[in-house]
Amino acid sequence: MTLAGLAVRNLARNRFRLLLTVVGVAVAIVAFLLLRTVIWAWASGAEWAAKDRLVTRHKVTFVMTLPRRYVEDVRGAPHVTAVTWANWFGGKDPRHDRDFFQAIAVDAASYLAVYDEMKVSEGAADTWAHDRQGAIVGDVLARKLGWKVGDKVALQSGIYPGDWQFNVDAIYTATSKSIDRSTFVFHWDYLNDSLPPERRDKVGWIVSRVDDPAHVADIGVALDRRFEDLDTPTLSQDERSFNASFLAMFSAVLKAMNLVSAVILVIMTLILGNTIAMGVRERTGEYGVLRAIGFRPVHVALWVVGESVVLGALGGALGVALAFPFINLGVGRFVEENMGSFFPYFRLEAANMLLALLVAALLGGLASALPAWRACRLHVVDAVRRVA
Amino acid sequence: MIPIRYNLRSLSVRKATTLATAGGIALVVFVLASSLMLSAGIRKTLGASGKRDNAIVLRMGSDAELGSVIEESSVPLILAAPGVKADARGQPLGAAEIVVVGAMEKLGAEGVTNVAIRGVGDDVMRFRPEVHLVAGRPPKPGTDEALVGARIRGRIRGVDLGQTFDIKKNRPVTVVGVFEAEGSAYESEIWVDREILRQAYGREGIVSSVRVRLDSPTKFDAFRAGVENDKRLGLSAVPEALFYEKQSEGASLFVSALGGVVSVFFAVGAMIGAMITMYAAVANRQREIGTLRALGFSRSSVLGSFLLEAVLLSAVGGGVGALASLAMGFVHLSMVNLASWSEVVFSFDPTPQVIGVALAFACGMGLVGGLFPAVRAARTSPLMAIRG
Repeated sequence: MTLAGLAVRNLARNRFRLLLTVVGVAVAIVAFLLLRTVIWAWASGAEWAAKDRLVTRHKVTFVMTLPRRYVEDVRGAPHVTAVTWANWFGGKDPRHDRDFFQAIAVDAASYLAVYDEMKVSEGAADTWAHDRQGAIVGDVLARKLGWKVGDKVALQSGIYPGDWQFNVDAIYTATSKSIDRSTFVFHWDYLNDSLPPERRDKVGWIVSRVDDPAHVADIGVALDRRFEDLDTPTLSQDERSFNASFLAMFSAVLKAMNLVSAVILVIMTLILGNTIAMGVRERTGEYGVLRAIGFRPVHVALWVVGESVVLGALGGALGVALAFPFINLGVGRFVEENMGSFFPYFRLEAANMLLALLVAALLGGLASALPAWRACRLHVVDAVRRVA
Repeated sequence: MIPIRYNLRSLSVRKATTLATAGGIALVVFVLASSLMLSAGIRKTLGASGKRDNAIVLRMGSDAELGSVIEESSVPLILAAPGVKADARGQPLGAAEIVVVGAMEKLGAEGVTNVAIRGVGDDVMRFRPEVHLVAGRPPKPGTDEALVGARIRGRIRGVDLGQTFDIKKNRPVTVVGVFEAEGSAYESEIWVDREILRQAYGREGIVSSVRVRLDSPTKFDAFRAGVENDKRLGLSAVPEALFYEKQSEGASLFVSALGGVVSVFFAVGAMIGAMITMYAAVANRQREIGTLRALGFSRSSVLGSFLLEAVLLSAVGGGVGALASLAMGFVHLSMVNLASWSEVVFSFDPTPQVIGVALAFACGMGLVGGLFPAVRAARTSPLMAIRG
């Protein structure tokens, strides 16, 4: 029997304790993965943002709008290849009073060209373009509220008074993980024409595509300089920094979650260390015998560490196996449907699974450090004599 | 009854195992108590903002002050509605205010954050007697002088006593005073003169909300009827306490739900840790148990003794964890309140209930984790055990 074989066989000595420890580690790993996925999904909005898109908004506050004519100025700027704009509408369906989703009024002629990760079938896009009261709806939102193509929907807005009538012309899907599939998108013209004259011709934000992603920041700076001397100064950010600055508002929450996910690993290490320490204590006599017949302290230490690494890896593997259906089929679907604007894509990533496995095995090794050190420091005579 | 001293000695003999198990439980209780404290802190901060005998009037369909628009001409009608309390001079007690958010630079962290800026009248303190200055002096009416809340002071560039910041390009405002408001959300706001803010944000002639003091909370229905009956005004009235309760719902639910889910996972892990420890204790002490039984202690007193030992173990851990969590009372966490889209600073609120729940949770973990091992101990046959 090889040394490694002996270490593994030792694990099976107390099957019940083995089972409990593996389950304990697995539970910790599931919690760890859940937290990692929350953090990761939160940050992914910035990760997968398009590098060649530039968002221009009011410099001081998002509650104020930009004049419509700025759109033409942006269109005329160097390196800009396509421009669109949008207004925040808020919006909720009075029949689903508690379901919050984002509704935006956009320039229909250009929006899907700038956001080409939003996919609508060819014919449907055409229908929408010609239907003034038409809207396209994300597939996640449509499934949640039971809307189908051809439905008539009335929305209310916290900002624009009255009842607004829409026709659902199409359902969109997304080819990028950073696109929210729970947005309600309709014609800016319809909104604008329905407003009193003094509220007309205002846009919430302008989005442009540039031909040179490497210099997107400089292009933004140039745009802002151009508007700086006018009455409404702007702030232009590429989509990645725009999303990142939004995330920064919640940085304290992310920090707390990082801390908690570290705490769960400490708890896991304590469970593992406890089990290994018990095993070592019970086998003190055997280690003494092994030492007496010529094995060296380093062999004893290797057995202990090896056993612990395998134990951690087993628990990690079970944890990943449990977390996969739990997150991808259970929590993930719920989160995507209900918190889609924060977590457009909430799934367990391969990288996180690998990380969990590695961490479990590594912490297994770490947990055995103290018992292993103790075991190899034993004097042969003491060890053989000692009772557990 | 087996003396408790027996359990205490047993626990102290295996120090490493006891420490590892109790440490795991301490961490679980720490995380649980912290998330409960934060959730309580959120409810306290937003709850303190709403007074039982106040009502708030917003535009119909608005859930927050930010999107609400009320014509100045409606304000006297609201103040004249039935049930509004009058002050000593016979003036109705009310406050018509405008709320915007500004993007301001954070100190000590990267990026900008949204800060709520409230345009208040000269008589703001008359309506809110709970607000008092802790530094500086009241602003001169109608000037570019501002008050800032105690919690936001020093967190944002230019927002501290004697400093200056821009509410609009080239529109500096000087901070002359710092106020406290019973820990409410107002402490995360900046207060400037209503007219100055309106001009800066192009909101002449409108307010966001009107708050009134009622003669008593029971007068609300009459007040509401008075305000809402005139459909042309398009207003809706809500008790102020309910208004803030709805704002705290989301954040408090998020923290409780995430904290709860994570704590359950942690608890299962720590319970398994306790179980491993207790099973090992029972297995190692077969002879002792046999001796106890042979001495005449009944099965039930052996069962009780081991259960007690498990509960002691976890109570020690729980106590340490709860104590450590009290330190979180000094931590302030700033988070964007999704209802108002502005940053609010929350604290962890260590209420007696939270500590009680956390300790009870720890004892529960010990009880459940210790049950099966204790049953096994109780079923030990004295004869077999002593023979070994």
